[in-house]
Amino acid sequence: MNVKNLSLAISTASIIAVSGFFSPAFSAGKNLTVVLSEEPDIVDPCEATRSNVGRIVKQNVSETLVEIDPKDGSIKARLATGWTQKDKLTWHFDIRKGVKFHDGEDLNAKSVVKSIQRALNPKYDCEIRTKFFGNMSVTASAIGSHTVSIKTKKPQPIMPALMGTMTIVSPNTQEAKGVRNPQGTGPYVFGTWTPGQSVTLKRFSGYWGDKPEVENVNYVFRKESAVRAAMVKTGEADIAPNIAVQDATDSKMDFSYFNSETARLRIDMTRKPLDDIRVRKAMNLAIDLDALKGTIFADGVVPQTQIIVPSINGHNPRLKPWPYNLKEAKRLVAEAKADGVDVGKEIIMIGRLGIYPNHTEAMEAMHAMLTEAGFNLKIKMMETAGWLNFLSRPYAEDRGPTLVQAQHDNNNGDAVFSMFNKYACKGAQSTTCDSKVEAGIEAATVAIGDKRRDTWQEVQRRLHQDIVPDVQMFHMVGFSRVNPRINFTPSISTNSELQVSQVKFN
Amino acid sequence: MKQYLTKRILSSLLAIIGLFIMVFFLARLTGDPGHLYLPIDAPLEVRKEFSEKHGFNDPIYIQFSRFVIDLANGDFGDSLRKQRPAIDVVLEALPVTLSLAAVSMFIALIGAILIGSLAAYRPNGVFDRISRVVSLTAASAPDFWVAITAILIFSVSLRWLPTSGIGGLPYWIMPIGILLIRPLGLLVQVVRGSMITALSSDYVKTARAKGVREKVVIFKHGLRNGLLPVITVAGDQAAAIANGAVIVETIFGWPGIGKLMIDSILQRDFAVVQASILITAIVILSINIIIDIAYAVLDPRIRHK
Repeated sequence: MNVKNLSLAISTASIIAVSGFFSPAFSAGKNLTVVLSEEPDIVDPCEATRSNVGRIVKQNVSETLVEIDPKDGSIKARLATGWTQKDKLTWHFDIRKGVKFHDGEDLNAKSVVKSIQRALNPKYDCEIRTKFFGNMSVTASAIGSHTVSIKTKKPQPIMPALMGTMTIVSPNTQEAKGVRNPQGTGPYVFGTWTPGQSVTLKRFSGYWGDKPEVENVNYVFRKESAVRAAMVKTGEADIAPNIAVQDATDSKMDFSYFNSETARLRIDMTRKPLDDIRVRKAMNLAIDLDALKGTIFADGVVPQTQIIVPSINGHNPRLKPWPYNLKEAKRLVAEAKADGVDVGKEIIMIGRLGIYPNHTEAMEAMHAMLTEAGFNLKIKMMETAGWLNFLSRPYAEDRGPTLVQAQHDNNNGDAVFSMFNKYACKGAQSTTCDSKVEAGIEAATVAIGDKRRDTWQEVQRRLHQDIVPDVQMFHMVGFSRVNPRINFTPSISTNSELQVSQVKFN
Repeated sequence: MKQYLTKRILSSLLAIIGLFIMVFFLARLTGDPGHLYLPIDAPLEVRKEFSEKHGFNDPIYIQFSRFVIDLANGDFGDSLRKQRPAIDVVLEALPVTLSLAAVSMFIALIGAILIGSLAAYRPNGVFDRISRVVSLTAASAPDFWVAITAILIFSVSLRWLPTSGIGGLPYWIMPIGILLIRPLGLLVQVVRGSMITALSSDYVKTARAKGVREKVVIFKHGLRNGLLPVITVAGDQAAAIANGAVIVETIFGWPGIGKLMIDSILQRDFAVVQASILITAIVILSINIIIDIAYAVLDPRIRHK
């Protein structure tokens, strides 16, 4: 073989290899392909609070008694047709009649009770329990064929909202262990799971509600945002619920939406010089949020004044974001220094890799802004495991002053899901302990109606103006890419679920 | 040869045991898996309860003895995350990586032998110069960038190939193409170098003087001797891919062992970390033994030693 022959062979092979004879599998007909960033480890509806599980099973395979309207945080009926608070500790839920599980079992009070008991069983590390019911004593019982009573030891005025997290599964579901083929009442039956490749759902012919347009759903998993965006662009997928801002380049396909995440730098108020409020105020005044918006952060982000987004009950709309005022920030730093506060002490900025797009650039920009105001800072970027050691208790005793890059997601309708952990004296991620905040959290947690809202709003005001436990940044936006053949608009709940029944074909 | 192989296998077994003990203790130095498994907002009581239930609070020697006893019974433990036997999870991922490694190394080896030999036939000729530049570029190309660029060109712009996923031949082209670039580049360099040495040796000159055909001189006399260093490098490259073609697996959505290992380390899923490292170590040590055998087959001097 001479050089000429070899070159010819290589060229021919290359042409064959990349020739247009190959046609990739495209999503078509009434079938839908969704490309997610991560494959779930398990698809048990009890783990539906994990976004990669929730986007597959929540309200598709397994439904909740109620659901939270993403627009305003109000509670809507789903498997429960009504609910009433009988006394401070007891709620009754009326269960929808004529509903079947995918395995043929009837939905009734007994099956709902069994499902709740399964989720709350301490032998099973169900995330719904560990996230929402960890400190709570709950007893569910059937008081009629289609009425469930839920009793708690402490008043739970937001029990309906809590039930919006509780996915209901068939009474035949195995106890104390996650399942790989969940049986719910939703509009889609769990089909197949090929580990590492795909999960499929198919339309449930016996569904109690309206018949959805999509017949079959195929979920595939690609870690790289650029690949997910490319898959929708080429027609291999119909929806990529989350893509990075730099990949959202097609105005016809890409949607931005408030994703219920709120970004901040958590200030460790127990360490000097961060225990001085002038220092904390100066930090907020030193951050030029307008300069970050549309550059390092997406254009649609909104400067935040509190850790919850406007659609959540308890959000205080009267608060104003910290203005950028470097001169005032420098004055406060100088004043603190004159009073003996060691403002030159090194403060570590703890960042988490991948926490949001441009995570490191955001830290570097804020480092520069805070340095300009007169602080001495150093950035440490970490993987989740190391970062958690700084964010959550138990904190190391010998730690120095830190600002921890953090982001919090609450689309569950009420501020209670955020406030205790973040700002109560014993909160898992709190470094503050203020008697007024503490009393406010306690009072709001058991209050109802306007009183509840007002109490939360006062807590938010106190934190924002008088305590300043965070360097406040933005309510964040997410980006989805949607194939034009699909009619689907992402919302705040797209961060945690993706109801296929809402997808229509154009 | 038999004695040599027995010795080699025994030393490999010792290495695996040592590695396994090391992995067990190093993994536990990273911290409590509960911190990563439970939601960030989980109360402290729940965290304590979780650690106690799964034995993460037990003294390390108790955890180790439990692990050794389970292992003696062939039980690697259950994946904390996937809630099923860790060995099942690993054995699902292994064939994906092995098939990627086998196909890409086969193509890289054949390509490198052809290109390297032809380049060595006329050192500093046009073909040699072109192949040198191309192979050096290939050996230093960053996988991630090449993969994303390839998707944008061949999938998004030209629509010739699927962006990613597992399927028929079209789905293999980009992952294999990306994966073989570096080994191919390296191997072309090695084949070229060793073939230049082999083709200028006395026995090749003798063969030419006896009128042996040029094709036979290159591919039989030259190549057989020139292949020894190639096998070493090819073995290293194969082992590196078998250890996890992480970037290709991640970008193209091939659920291989590299991606699994990285994910399980980041999630502190100890049982999967241990099982995947053990299985990978066995594969790599097997590759090394195969290389030793190949050496002996190609070089009678090693056989006779």
